Parts: sequence; structure tokens; C-alpha cells
Amino acid sequence: MKELLISLNQTQKVRLQAALQHLAELASQVSSSNLAVTVADTIPVNNEDGILKGHGTTEFDGQVVATLCGIVERVNKLVYVRTLRARYKPEVGDIIVGRVIEIAPKRWRLEINFSQDAVLMLQSMNLPDGIQRRRTAVDELNMRSIFEENDVVCAEVRGFQHDGSLHLQARSQKYGKLERGQLLIIPAYLVKRRKQHFHHLEQYGLDLILGCNGFVWIGEHAEPIDSEVLEDRDKIPKDKQRDTPLEVRRNICRISNSVRLLSALGFALSVEAIVDTAEASKSSNVDIKDMLGAEFYVQTAEREVQRRASLLRKKRFV
Amino acid sequence: MASGPLETYSPSQTLERRHQQQKRKSFNEIDWARSDGRNFHQCRPAYLRTGATSSASGSAYAEFGSTKVIVSVFGPRESKKAMMYSDVGRLNCNVSYTTFSTSTRGQGSDNKDFSSMLQKALEGAIILETFPKTTVDIFALVLESAGGDLPIIISCASLALADAGIMMYDLVSAVSLSCFGKNLVIDPTSEEEACQDGSLMIAYMPIRNEVTQFTLTGEWSTAKINEAMELCLEACSKLSNILRSCLKENVLGFTD
Repeated sequence: MKELLISLNQTQKVRLQAALQHLAELASQVSSSNLAVTVADTIPVNNEDGILKGHGTTEFDGQVVATLCGIVERVNKLVYVRTLRARYKPEVGDIIVGRVIEIAPKRWRLEINFSQDAVLMLQSMNLPDGIQRRRTAVDELNMRSIFEENDVVCAEVRGFQHDGSLHLQARSQKYGKLERGQLLIIPAYLVKRRKQHFHHLEQYGLDLILGCNGFVWIGEHAEPIDSEVLEDRDKIPKDKQRDTPLEVRRNICRISNSVRLLSALGFALSVEAIVDTAEASKSSNVDIKDMLGAEFYVQTAEREVQRRASLLRKKRFV
Repeated sequence: MASGPLETYSPSQTLERRHQQQKRKSFNEIDWARSDGRNFHQCRPAYLRTGATSSASGSAYAEFGSTKVIVSVFGPRESKKAMMYSDVGRLNCNVSYTTFSTSTRGQGSDNKDFSSMLQKALEGAIILETFPKTTVDIFALVLESAGGDLPIIISCASLALADAGIMMYDLVSAVSLSCFGKNLVIDPTSEEEACQDGSLMIAYMPIRNEVTQFTLTGEWSTAKINEAMELCLEACSKLSNILRSCLKENVLGFTD
């Protein structure tokens, strides 16, 4: 997690301060109880019966006590602590992006910012020829032709094994190797779980994958390949496979810079926010390299204030 | 012939040794002033900060007087293959000194003693069951050593662990104390540590009211130990409040 080092001048500092202050006020209007706890603080539960102690809590002397630093969240009877700076905690069905670090017998090991390496078994993976069959020893030998070390891979969390190790699966065309793009690693808490994590940004010709583990992939748009088309593609000689055009490369950089900017400001990432930031930079003629500069940083914070304020107003009318 | 060992062999009275003996004498008197003008029962001012290193999962910087320490926490990450399977997490500590940490310039070195003591002090506070098969690495680097290094490393490390989001029962704060004849001197500097008659260090979890480590060296009477422990525990609770307020600032900074 590298943070941007931005040197603000005096007026920019004041503006940023004001924007952040405003955001804090807006946040307090939405949810009244935003209790921050540190390790061993007691969490007030008002002596309710049948409180469920969730992640980051324990019982001591008949009271609920935090074991992590973060924000207390409550869902009905469940009380848990949402951490801000911690490793990713996988849940079944999460879409994640990871990097292959090792090829072991019948499996790949992936780094996904979890406390352990994730395991992607050969059998929980669609073969490139698309035929359903038992995996043979030959398949095992050819594993490196599917993913190599340091490849970036997109997959889904399949579940936990009895010994606590994490298994992944990639049983669809949309999962698999990611090429021609950039991988950004940001704090996992900034990516919220949504219905849709794959996004096709048509106006830029890009694919955007927001991995739940805080790995964000921005790459050239690739059409999902059917198995029949795949055979045709193999006939095309290697040198005919085209390069990524310059315009797309620029778009990749612009989008990735807006992701960097939003994560540096600590705003939750959504496609709308990312595209909005990129569009704003385009319309105000900010160069790609200047997007990470002080002026645009402050502008983005101010725009976020306006966005949230208008959201709040809409809610009140409804 | 029987002239006693003193005449046949006596240690050379170099200037340094004489100087130290004089100092020792002065420390044994009832009343003397500490070099930094503190009371006997007054700790050095503490400055603490989290997030000192950007690449670590959690880190903290501590400055007590002129003792300066950086602690970085990495992980939890998967244990090496060579290690046996274990259903609780492991803690791996390493304490090292920079080349310029002491007044005599030397080679920066690892301190094995401190490393294992740091591990023992923190093991009791971390909920190791929450990350099976994995290891947490703690690297402490002493930038300037001016007394009370180990207790400062321990306090700083517990802050770094909390910053890394590792589950703990409570923050550990540690304080050391030196004994000079009749006097008990809390949070000694290295000058005082060099001449002490005995020392005591406590690592303590104030909210749980549990001691994770207790070290006692030198000659002590039971009454003295009691008095010393009470002093240390009180200082630990105060230090813990400082650690807490530092963390709280950090959490609130994130929510803005």
C-alpha cells in the first residue's frame, strides 16, 4: 500500500481540510453511530440478550471486547469490527484477482493479499479446449502453458478446505489469465462487494475488474472467446497478433491514475466514481501525469463532497 | 608469603574504571539528580506514531527521550514449507541495532536475547489461533539506544501489531526500572543502566490485568520488589493510554 506523497500549497491545504470536514459531517448525518474502537476497548451492547460476537470481538468479564482496531458495525444482533488496515478476508463467491507465485502438483498458488496463498486446482479450471473430461498427467505437464509464474489471474473464491486453506475456481470464460493491462494493489476495504465486478468501459475500450481483495485490473478489452473461435485463432501466426494501440494505452493509464487517486483519498471504489474522475480530468484538460498532482487531488475531494451532498438531498426527497 | 590476592594481582586502575566507580558511588547516595532532570519516579516523554514504513502491513515509530525505535510487522503470511504444520500462528521476532545507535560506533548487530524476549512478551497478547499455518514477522530496528531499549521495543511492537490488524487481547506496554541501593529509578537511561544494582522489567496488559513478561536481575528484597512492581504497573497503564490515543487518532484519520 503505497501512499501518494503530495505537497500541497497553503490554499490547497485549506480547501482539502474544508472538503474532508464536509465529508465527515455528511457521513455523520447518514449513520449516527460510527464508533471507532482500538484493541481491548469494550463495545457497548446495552446488555442485550443473544448478542452474536463477530469478527474482531471476544468476550471478557461478560463484556464484548474488541481485538482489532476499526469501526464497530452492527447487523441486527451481530456485532463485528470492520478493520481498515488489515489483510483481505475472503468470502465464498468473491471475485478476486491474484498473481501466480508457484506451480505445484495439480495446482497453482496465488498471492491474493490473504494471510495464506490461495490454491487454484487444475480440476477446478476450464481447460482451454473447453472439453469436460478427467485431467490426465499430460494436462498436468502442460500446466505452464495455461498460467505461468507471475501471471495475473482472475478467479472466484470456491471455499475453505478443512485445514483452513483457500481454494479458488475459474469455471467460466470470464475468468482466467489477464493480459495487456495494469494491476493496481489498493487497500481491500475500498472495494465493496457488488453484483458486478467485471466492467466493460466501452468508451475507452477497456476492461476493469475490481477484485474484492483489493487487486484492480485495468486492461484492454478482450472478447470472451468461444471454444470454436479459439481453434481458428491458433491458426493465426503469432506475429499477426496485434499490439495494443497507443490510445488504449493512454486510456489504461488515465483510468489507473483515477483509481490511484481515489484510493489515496480513501474513497470507496465504484465504476461510476472511477469513470467520473477520468472524465473530469479529460474535460478540464488535465494531463495523465498531472492527475496525481496536488490541484487535481483537491478537486477530486471537492467533487466527492458535491456528489455525496446531492445523493443525500435526493434521498430526502424520496 | 601470605600477602593475599590483592597484592599479587590487582586490576589496573584505568581512568575509565575509576570514573565509573566514582559514578557508582554517587548513585548509591540517597539523593542525586538524574542527568535529564527527571524525578526518580518520572518516565521520559513518549512520542509514538503508526505507519512509519509504507511497505509493511503495520509499523510504528517510538521515541522515548533519545531512544528511537522503528518496528515493522509483516504478515500474517504463509509459513515456510520446511516448518511443520501447526494450527496456531507463529511469531517471528528480530531486534537489530543500527551502526550508529550507540555512542561507540560499531557494527550494527542482531540482538538474539532481545529477539526471544520480545517474542515471549508478545506471544501472550496475540490471538494466535486466528491465523493457522501462518507466520507474523516483527522486525525492530533501534535507531538510537539510550536506555530502556527492550521495554520500548515491546510497546512499539504491540502498537505496530494493532496497526497491522492482527487480533490481540490487549495492547502490551512495558516499563523497566533500576535499583540503586535504596533508590528505585524508573525508565533508566543507558548511563544509569550501566551502574545499576538490579533491574526489573514488566510487560503488562492493563485492561486484562495480566502480565506477559517479568524480568528481574540483581539483588532485591521482597519489599523492594513489591514497591517496584507497583511503580511499573502504574507507569504501564499510563503508557497504554498513550498507545491507545495514538491508535484512535489513526482510526479517526481513516474515516474522514
